[in-house]
Amino acid sequence: MSELVLHDDELDEDCYRVRLFLSLLGLQARRVAVDVVPGGQQDGPAFRVISPAGMLPVLHIDGQAVCGAEAALLALAHGRPAWLPEGRAEFAQVAHWLQFAGGPLRAAARMRRACLFEGAGDAQSDRRRAAVAALRIVEDHLAHRRLEGGCWVVGEGPTVGDIALFPAAALCRDWGEEHAAYPALRRWVRAVRALPGFVTMPGIPDYG
Amino acid sequence: MGMSRDGGWYPLVLSADLEPCTVVGSVVHGRELAVWRDGQGQAHVWDDRCPHRGMRLSLGFVREGALACLYHGWRFGADGRCVHIPAHPDLSPPGTIRAAPLRVAEGHGLVWASVQDAGPLPGDEAAKETWLPVRSLRIEAPWDDVARAIGMPDGHRAGVLDRDVEGRVLAALLPVGAGACMLHVQAAAPAEVERLHDLADWAQDVRARAEERAGQVFLAGSVA
Ligand code: FES
Repeated sequence: MSELVLHDDELDEDCYRVRLFLSLLGLQARRVAVDVVPGGQQDGPAFRVISPAGMLPVLHIDGQAVCGAEAALLALAHGRPAWLPEGRAEFAQVAHWLQFAGGPLRAAARMRRACLFEGAGDAQSDRRRAAVAALRIVEDHLAHRRLEGGCWVVGEGPTVGDIALFPAAALCRDWGEEHAAYPALRRWVRAVRALPGFVTMPGIPDYG
Repeated sequence: MGMSRDGGWYPLVLSADLEPCTVVGSVVHGRELAVWRDGQGQAHVWDDRCPHRGMRLSLGFVREGALACLYHGWRFGADGRCVHIPAHPDLSPPGTIRAAPLRVAEGHGLVWASVQDAGPLPGDEAAKETWLPVRSLRIEAPWDDVARAIGMPDGHRAGVLDRDVEGRVLAALLPVGAGACMLHVQAAAPAEVERLHDLADWAQDVRARAEERAGQVFLAGSVA
């Protein structure tokens, strides 16, 4: 594999997903910082040459620029069946959760951004309800998994599905959702944290 | 059923959800609590306020049999006394610096804390069974409305529900605040995995209906 390069914003949870996965895989990437808040660099012409839609992160891998977290996770997981199962049924489930992470679960990241950077409060709103509902879908899934002895989102071990969903669950306190309301999420967050190579980002406590 | 007078005992979390050497938050009628289990398996419930600067202890972690605050690392032992201050490792902290423990009991698969003066732990009928944890879930609706909906005996926060033909269910409700509660569900052993899944689905259904009555509808994907 040629040198990996990651265009990265320390505070962005999409970028964190890829940093986390790189670290769990024991891979190094050269990081190029993109100043999103307050710089707005993702919308500047220089970055748009690299990522035409302004999507973060961008991973350079084998001469390709891969834009967006789910795509970058898939590119890194290719050829690693532990992280991206080859059997059709399990592959389909991972695909399902990746789509969910890039779709309805984005409401959680939007809520977080609104609270951290736009001063949105705890007041109930359609936006907040949509974010809570998305987190609940993950909570309900993990509660059911637990009944059959499963700890992970799909199958018997962590996959890119877990990595894709993780930050929304680990960072929900930033927008006022307490883990007390999500026992299955809490347990799973602990399991992810215990993986060798786990790294945090600002907002996810490091117990040292 | 005859869980007469729950008194001041509140069902905080399923025992299975409080693993050794971990801490979780809980709320009873707006009072914030830190619930933690030490390495010996003993559960502790304290007010969720660090004696140092009042930060939330439930965000901390358990180290060497003590609950450590995330902020400046002060540690508090099982009796609530401060046992370690990282900035002054050689100082033995004065006994007056201590967290506020509540009375705790563990039974029928649940960790309970007494918030007002509590009599005996509720649950003479529940004591006849072994309970398998199904799940806990948060419901954005008043606890007494949920209690009525599931057929909980009047005024009780926990009870064995007999209405279910498949087997008995132990339901327990924690009033979190005016309009929110946690519902804890357990199944009488023995129970097949399918039954546990069915009960988890039932709990989700209880949640959906209660929230609809309360005018709280949570719909994913509904906002672009
Ligand atoms: S606030 Fe807890 S140690 Fe300082």
